[in-house]
Amino acid sequence: MNRGDATVGGSYMLTGATGFLGSHVMAGLLNKGERVVIVGRPAGRESLAERIRRLLGWFGIKHCEEQLEFHEIDFLKPRLGLGADDYERLRRRGLPIIHCASDTSFAEKKRTKVMRSNVESLNELLNFAEQSRTSYFHLVSSAYAAGTDSRECPEALVNSKHFNNVYEESKAQAEDIVSARCRKEQIPHTIIRPSIVYGDSLTGRSLRFNALYFPVRSMQQIRDIYLDEIKSNHGIKSAECGIHLDYEGVLHLPVRIFIPNGGKINLIPVNYFTETVLSILENPLNETIYHVTSNHPQSMAGLASYTERFLKISGIEVVIGTAASEKMRNPPEELFDHFIKAYRPYISDQRIFKRENTDRATGGILPPDFSYEIFQRCMAFAVSADWGKKLFFD
Amino acid sequence: MNKVLKTAKSCRHYAMCKIDFLGSGLCAPGAEKHYVCFYPQGRMDLYAALAEGRIPVTEKCVEIADSCDLCGKCDYQCYFVTEMKPSAVMKALKEHIALHLKSGGEVVAAEKGSILDGLKKIVGEYWATNDRAVALTYAHDPCPVAAPRLPAYVVMPDSAAQVAAVVKLLNRRHIPYAVRGNGSSVMGFVMSEGAVIDMGRMKTIVFDEKNWLVQVGAGVAAFDLQKAALERGLRVNVAEPAALVCANIMCSGIFSTFSASYGTAADNYIDAEFVGPDGSVFRLSDPAAPNLFGFRREDAPLPGICTSASVRLHPVMVDESAVFVPFTSLEGALDFSRECAMRRIGLAIGVLGGEYISTFLSPTKKLALEVKNAFLDKLKIAYLVLVIGDAYALRAIREMGHHGFDSRLIRILNLGLPSLTSAKWLDLISELADEEPFSYLGLPHFADLAEAALMPSAAQLVRDVDPELRPFFEKLYAKSEMTDPLWLNMFRIVSTRMGREKHALAMIIYLPIDKQLIAAIDDGFRSIADRHGLKNDFGFITPLDNGKRCVFEYDYYLDQNDADEKMKMGQALMEAGMMIEKFAATTGTVTWIRYVFRQGFSRKESFLYQGAGVNE
Repeated sequence: MNRGDATVGGSYMLTGATGFLGSHVMAGLLNKGERVVIVGRPAGRESLAERIRRLLGWFGIKHCEEQLEFHEIDFLKPRLGLGADDYERLRRRGLPIIHCASDTSFAEKKRTKVMRSNVESLNELLNFAEQSRTSYFHLVSSAYAAGTDSRECPEALVNSKHFNNVYEESKAQAEDIVSARCRKEQIPHTIIRPSIVYGDSLTGRSLRFNALYFPVRSMQQIRDIYLDEIKSNHGIKSAECGIHLDYEGVLHLPVRIFIPNGGKINLIPVNYFTETVLSILENPLNETIYHVTSNHPQSMAGLASYTERFLKISGIEVVIGTAASEKMRNPPEELFDHFIKAYRPYISDQRIFKRENTDRATGGILPPDFSYEIFQRCMAFAVSADWGKKLFFD
Repeated sequence: MNKVLKTAKSCRHYAMCKIDFLGSGLCAPGAEKHYVCFYPQGRMDLYAALAEGRIPVTEKCVEIADSCDLCGKCDYQCYFVTEMKPSAVMKALKEHIALHLKSGGEVVAAEKGSILDGLKKIVGEYWATNDRAVALTYAHDPCPVAAPRLPAYVVMPDSAAQVAAVVKLLNRRHIPYAVRGNGSSVMGFVMSEGAVIDMGRMKTIVFDEKNWLVQVGAGVAAFDLQKAALERGLRVNVAEPAALVCANIMCSGIFSTFSASYGTAADNYIDAEFVGPDGSVFRLSDPAAPNLFGFRREDAPLPGICTSASVRLHPVMVDESAVFVPFTSLEGALDFSRECAMRRIGLAIGVLGGEYISTFLSPTKKLALEVKNAFLDKLKIAYLVLVIGDAYALRAIREMGHHGFDSRLIRILNLGLPSLTSAKWLDLISELADEEPFSYLGLPHFADLAEAALMPSAAQLVRDVDPELRPFFEKLYAKSEMTDPLWLNMFRIVSTRMGREKHALAMIIYLPIDKQLIAAIDDGFRSIADRHGLKNDFGFITPLDNGKRCVFEYDYYLDQNDADEKMKMGQALMEAGMMIEKFAATTGTVTWIRYVFRQGFSRKESFLYQGAGVNE
């Protein structure tokens, strides 16, 4: 095998295929006719294969199942938890590896778990990569691994010492480890850093409804609380907060969203992410970092306006700064703030992501601007899927 | 089995029909005639026995049936606790007797005899009887290990002197006896083939506020004493609302969540009056009195009959309130409760299972089931620690970094329970729960939001209640005390709902607040019950002696009319007992309540710690 070739035998080994990004990468590869070796864990009583089959149904590509191969593994166990023979057979194939598996929790109290999933688990996978003499190792990281030390974020390894949360920190550490180990073992490698990924900009479909979706969903639930109260309780509690229905049926819901600074939210659709990754896989450049990001991030005020229009509400006000007093806040404002707390760094983000490498890989194709039409399409799908609850019941 | 008979045979014997805990008034014949057979509880047993042909129609049967005017008060009380409506049984009882009389059936007269004459001479003609209809209602309790025993006599003295005379007479005639409070011992302690001495007429309550005590007659129930104390701005440490206070002290010592600060056993009283086994009257404060403060780690005999006790009074501060602090694990809840106890924060402390709010606060089984998942799955509440304290205590808890459901929020949740099942916003809270469990409780305006979302109202809460009773329950839940966790914990009326689905049997032990030990015993109780297919659940844990020890209750449940389940329960209780003994032997710090039975007047230190004077 030629080390440095993009693929060997038209196959890839993929981790995280049951996740949002990993599943789209899997679907993209299958649609291209590639064979994919899925490695991952079962979930409860559901085997890895069953989980993947469910996803194939969602993507409408059940016919591609023959292009798949499954191996249930444990990243933290020697030989990835595989039997000696299975490990040996897999190792000999020297497949390029796309590592998408990740714990996306931001919670500090989950530090140990996040570090174990995103950092410690790399050890056995990199051992495997080394022993298999893999043709390429692709790490799907995050644009936010850049940390918070600098607004200018080049497509280079991270020097930052400060991060918004443990997720960013773990991703930065993972990049360091992959980069150092691959260099040492002369494993060709890339690092792919997406920003915030939402659903398909053309169809609105999505498998995950966090990040962009969570604030909209939060606002919808808060809206519904007060719509019900107005309907069933004469709006007594609503009136206390200045909430009322106007003559056009629009709910006036005075909620101030406090953001620490005037930054923006960097969004890309998952179809753009997938296309970009496939372009990179076709012609990867060793030791290259790719920012899969938008050059035109959305302002929070713009998103608030989209949300008002979509949910038929008014009264959302984006305020730069912090609330003067907790007592001055009304209950919906306070709850909304609580719901989006974890996402606050990303809705007022001032970082600028350079993307020369990505532009070269994609021929300069940029993600679409985040228009209301795209927003509406994505949110309509989210509502129809009950924010993920009815995803697989259609 | 028809529905009426099934209801009759399902009475839990919690005696809640003997206290006016809903303010709806007492069963009038019961309040006047005192024998349990004149209360709905006794009538249920009586009807079941008559319907199954276990006893003939006696003179008392006719009196009992006649005395009921089918007022329906028992429905309110029993429905509140068990969701049963006993008035159908009361009606069936009257119809049974009427039909019997109409068809010329025999009415059996009570037998005459010198012993009965002697008893009547002591207590008065009406207050001693050997009528089988009366005796039957003293013959059993739902305990699976206590076989029914029909007493030859039932006696109701109204003074210590009468008790003493009764005891002497029974001793002279070699007649065994049992002493009965409200008959809820559930362990068969209140049954005898000889005589049952029912203390229900001794209802004296005399306050001596200057000495911070209240003298309580042996027939006074916990609810009634607490109510009388609260009217004076005071509090007593009592247990189950229908339990008679003196009997409760004698049986196991009184423990409640307030025991975290008020203590248990000898901590709860200042003095007590007894009739000894020989019929002599003595007071505990007499230097020559038998030493009931001591404790022997063995199955103890009855040291005497407590005829009255001088119970400690405690002040009630105007700023007292309650908070339920939620936890995702028992370990977290234990750590917190222990810390509160050691720092002497709060008056009452109790670690409760996560189902507390759904089971105890729901007026119906259906609603309890519906909202159970909201608390467990969406709000991730596995355990709650209840703390009752003054404003300083509750502030201290907040400063310790804990947020909880305060009294206002509990009231909102209680009256808004039905809305929880459809509350989609809980999904968001659930998703946040993994990251920051219960952080929403720290939001200053969360109660306002919950009020808007749940639209709490008494009408909403009772929407599934039996339509006939709904207007009453709507008015009831509109009363502030019915949703006030402080009041509810003082009077403990909602915890009786633990027996709503099935009869509950409590496994109770004293031990250190040792997380590993408690987890092991908790697992042990659970696995034994699970193995026998019995419903079971964590009961509660309350710190004692400033957190150095605690009392731990684990509950097993059975259908008292299911022979197979009773057999399984007997086996499970035996295995649970063996497990407790094993832990007691290996740790040296675990005490089974079995050994405190009949020694409840002892000093708590004697059974909490294995110090001097403890027999091994």
